[in-house]
Amino acid sequence: MSLVEIRNVTKRYGALTVLDDVSLDVEQGEIISIIGRSGSGKSTLLRCINGLEQIQGGSITVDGVRLGDPSTDLRKLRQQVGIVFQSYNLFPHLSVARNITLAPTVVKKTSDAEARKIAQDVLRRVGLEEKIDAFPQQLSGGQQQRVAIARSLAMHPKMMLFDEITSALDPELTGEVLKVIEDMARSGMTMALVTHEMAFARRIGTRVIFMHKGKIWEQGPAGEVLTNPKTNELATFLNAVLH
Amino acid sequence: MIREFAFIDLLYLISAIRWTLLLSLAAFAGGSLIGLIVAVLRVSSVAPLRWLAAGYVQIVQGTPLLCILFVFFFGLSIIGLPVHAWIAATFAFSIYAGAFLGEIWRGALQSIPKTQWEAGGALGLSYTEQLRYVIVPQAVRVSIPPTVGFLVQLIKNTSLAATIGFIELTREGQLTTASTFQPFAVYCTVAVLYFLLCFPLTQLSRVLERKYNVAG
Repeated sequence: MSLVEIRNVTKRYGALTVLDDVSLDVEQGEIISIIGRSGSGKSTLLRCINGLEQIQGGSITVDGVRLGDPSTDLRKLRQQVGIVFQSYNLFPHLSVARNITLAPTVVKKTSDAEARKIAQDVLRRVGLEEKIDAFPQQLSGGQQQRVAIARSLAMHPKMMLFDEITSALDPELTGEVLKVIEDMARSGMTMALVTHEMAFARRIGTRVIFMHKGKIWEQGPAGEVLTNPKTNELATFLNAVLH
Repeated sequence: MIREFAFIDLLYLISAIRWTLLLSLAAFAGGSLIGLIVAVLRVSSVAPLRWLAAGYVQIVQGTPLLCILFVFFFGLSIIGLPVHAWIAATFAFSIYAGAFLGEIWRGALQSIPKTQWEAGGALGLSYTEQLRYVIVPQAVRVSIPPTVGFLVQLIKNTSLAATIGFIELTREGQLTTASTFQPFAVYCTVAVLYFLLCFPLTQLSRVLERKYNVAG
């Protein structure tokens, strides 16, 4: 069974259909890059996977648990699936350590001492162990985004979602964040990322999904999809972003 | 008997300040309780609760404070409840403060970006945990300057309680005027005393505003 099973999902905002009958399976250990124009529904698809958006049709199953079921514990699901946002969304009133330990201590009832150890561990993974007692506003954008990744990792999720996490960063800062993701990819984490970094998608993605008008327009192995687009829409899109 | 406005009268006025302060504190405490409930209901996801809180705020903000005070003082005694000036004033001012504090705090809660809720939710925090650990601590910072500012309004408005015979600073001024017949001197003194109470608070409000604006 796949880790994530998305079946015929439809999502509307009023009259606007954002996701139109989308189906997608994500296997354990897969790294999926979702590309497409803004408004194509790629971020929405990602956000549906951990229940941040409600769907109007179809079904989403994560690790055997069906979303949208009244019996589904959304909190449990969200401990399995972490998400990192474009705008970091760190808690500005809390130190880096507390940003990371908040959810483990409150949601999982981890002891303070153990949570602190987890924080040190995840910060080491993103290369920021010396910033453990800093506050978010003392960090650069790239550092804040790495803390946000660490914060998600501290919940030991089975899957990570990345929503355009380098889009708000200055170009010279994207590298440090992408490197963290590559390290995670090597460690076997299942990931889905919405990105505009085509070279990166090609390098680390096992599969590329091209979304257009709320549908999965084209998909396949990263190298193939990005070099030999089958549809006009993808060819036009690639032409626009690569040149 | 008419006598001079003397030093002893000044001491009486100064000692009446404690009732002004006590009423202000009681009203602030009651108002905070109501305001907290109003603010949380106003951002609730349940529409009828939002309407209820909004209706309360509209009614109170659209009614003169003096009227609310009279309703409690005269109205309740008509239906047979003996109402002491203290109780009437505390209730009336709490209800008044609750509406305004509720609005200030609702604004503070809503000034916290939706993405902060999302970040908390995505980590598995429940609604109340998001409020408690993420939203409220940030909203408190935002709301401190306007809350202190409102406290100044509240202190000044307690002077209305003089109309129902509640002895506080203004009422003491009326009594002193009656025996000295020097309203100008007396009310100038009363005004100065109010100013001395409120000025430090308005300054504090400004300092806090600057501090939190800088700290972001």
